[in-house]
Amino acid sequence: MSEIYKKELVFLVTGIVTIVMILDYFFVFSPVKDLATQLRTWALVIQLMAIGLGAINLVRVHYRNIQKRTQTWIYSAWFMVIFALLLVLALMKISQGGQEYWLYTWFFTYPYTSLGATLYAITGFYIFSAAYRAFRARNIEAAILLVAGIFVMLANAPIGEVITPWFPLIGNWCNSVGQIPGMRTFAIVGAFGLLALGLRTLLGKERGFYSEVA
Amino acid sequence: MSDKTIWDKLQNVDRRVFYWILFVGLAVPFMFPLGLPVAVTPPTQGLYDGLRKLQAGDVVVLSINSGVSAWGDCLPAMVASVTQVLRQDAKLVIWSIGYVDCDITYREIVNRVPEFKSKTYGMDWVYFGYCPGQESNAALLRDNIRGVYTKDIQGTPTDNVPMMKNINGAKDIAMVLTSDTGDVQTYYRQQWGPTKSSRDNFGAVKYPVAEIGIAMNLSGDMSFFLSGDLFGLTGGSRGGAELEKLVGIKGDGTITMDSINVSHLLVIGAIVLANVGYLLTRGKK
Repeated sequence: MSEIYKKELVFLVTGIVTIVMILDYFFVFSPVKDLATQLRTWALVIQLMAIGLGAINLVRVHYRNIQKRTQTWIYSAWFMVIFALLLVLALMKISQGGQEYWLYTWFFTYPYTSLGATLYAITGFYIFSAAYRAFRARNIEAAILLVAGIFVMLANAPIGEVITPWFPLIGNWCNSVGQIPGMRTFAIVGAFGLLALGLRTLLGKERGFYSEVA
Repeated sequence: MSDKTIWDKLQNVDRRVFYWILFVGLAVPFMFPLGLPVAVTPPTQGLYDGLRKLQAGDVVVLSINSGVSAWGDCLPAMVASVTQVLRQDAKLVIWSIGYVDCDITYREIVNRVPEFKSKTYGMDWVYFGYCPGQESNAALLRDNIRGVYTKDIQGTPTDNVPMMKNINGAKDIAMVLTSDTGDVQTYYRQQWGPTKSSRDNFGAVKYPVAEIGIAMNLSGDMSFFLSGDLFGLTGGSRGGAELEKLVGIKGDGTITMDSINVSHLLVIGAIVLANVGYLLTRGKK
């Protein structure tokens, strides 16, 4: 297949899928709906395959790290051990008809849950330290941001309303009135940007991912 | 002798000092609870009011799109919501289009909600597990649940699950509760909106979607609640504590409010201290 043909095929598939999805979203027309459902099912299958591909890719990357003895090869080795262990446990679970398998469940319930919660909680410590180091009222805009942030925090913590009812009042105003125009502007401008990107892609003017194909 | 003042020194405190202060600050309220009252905000009230409108036999989807790492933020509100759904004698369909570790969250919800004990799996609730696909999956589920989930988590074909007999898409679902650390509520809003659903149980509510989100997303989601695109919204453990108060249970949300008080005050104290130091030492630099 020539390079040009490859590009044209990508153009064609992208164009057809986009038009079908737009028609399905805005109009009720049975044949288009059936086609859109079919395309979505394909998308789901492709995503499932991508998960498998991702796993293979991870193994390749870490295997290469171990082979080349890079600085972090020990972590790659640890990854391989855990990957192999969970793969075996998952296969054993499948061999039991998908029923609960105690070791598989234990791995997810205890090490995984604790590690996940720890990882998320650690950000709180970083934020505390970063708040002290980085949040400086260097100019008027930064000062406004700081004051608004303090009010929002005191609105979120019940102690704010115990100190004075003004804290939740002002904090909730910041959350439900003050920030809304900005947030909506971002959302609407972003949507217009997405429309423009879609149109440019359809017209073949956005060539970023086409060039990846070629 | 060093000419550095206390403020100069405070500008360069080792970060480990902050870690220890926060660690101790968070631990103390667990030993000596303050139990300060929690006021209910309109987004949480909206979610509760929506749940109260459920009729016996209505079907609610709980989409678990937050991982175990976000339990602190999302689990309290999920537990409180599910409690209320079951108290209303509504049926529950649980799945995930966002997180692969949803099985653990599902098990935790079942363990924590005593109302499940008087209900029957397959008759009153069903769990389908995780399926990837994000927005395209949300669209598929809207039209044909069986097209995505051919069997439940126990391996029973969907057609053989008694409560799924007349349920196969958005038109059969009263509302979607999505727990979320990202954009999944957007997918449900866009794909399960009023143009696609033949049923509107909620009168003025435009979209039968509610968000159980992390605190960080509250500001972003707020505009969707105010526009009516979400009929309810909880943000973080504070939202969970508010919903627990409305539902009448004492869960993790209520318990962690004391730590939220301490941590927020510590962060504010740190910011004020740092800025006082900055203003006093600014001229020297």
